[in-house]
Amino acid sequence: MSIKVNLDIVLSERNMKSKELAEIIGITEANLSILKSGKAKAIRFSTLEAICKALDCQPSDILEYIED
Amino acid sequence: MKENTNILTIITWGVLLAAVSVLLNDMREFDFNQFEKFQNWARTADKSENWFTSKNAIEWSYYIISAALFFWRGYLIYGFSYFLSILKEIENGNYFSDKNICYFKKIGNIFIWYTVNVLVLRFLLALIGESTFNFFNELKAEFTFLIPAGLAFYILAEIFKRGKEVEEDNELTI
Repeated sequence: MSIKVNLDIVLSERNMKSKELAEIIGITEANLSILKSGKAKAIRFSTLEAICKALDCQPSDILEYIED
Repeated sequence: MKENTNILTIITWGVLLAAVSVLLNDMREFDFNQFEKFQNWARTADKSENWFTSKNAIEWSYYIISAALFFWRGYLIYGFSYFLSILKEIENGNYFSDKNICYFKKIGNIFIWYTVNVLVLRFLLALIGESTFNFFNELKAEFTFLIPAGLAFYILAEIFKRGKEVEEDNELTI
């Protein structure tokens, strides 16, 4: 997939665990894991907004386009 | 939804039981004992007579075709029984499951196979002179509507296949 999710990097920069983030943004750990692993087919604006708010970052910090 | 599925399950059971009882009654009325008189066919058959046009061969064909018609009616009832499996899946909340897609295809297959085979068998029955066959009258008969119904089930299977993909996409939207 040409869109890479850099959630792991941002999480480690913020010293935050996946479990904590999942609790803050109100999704299950399983769904967060799907997002982190790049298996997700789409991301809702509301989820992206919650992640950006929780991690105090921009969408571009989380999502990266890589040309195939 | 659960209430609706329960009602539909009860109706389906009612239809199935009625169809089975009608089939069993027809089989009971059909005198299978007449087969016995053909058991000594080889001994009683006129050796000089052409086998294909002999009375025994024609009557045997009649009984074989009648038995085949009973078989196909049973097969159609078996097809109806898949509705129960579909309702069970829906009751469990698995609307777009692979099983449902498979059941829809099977019902479509059964409906079409039943109609085509019964048409052929009725034609053969008319050929041996035990009944009359008018293709257009047969087309008017109720059972021919099973072909469009069978095709409708194929279409439903395709729609459910697409529904399954959309459901998967939805589940993978975080």
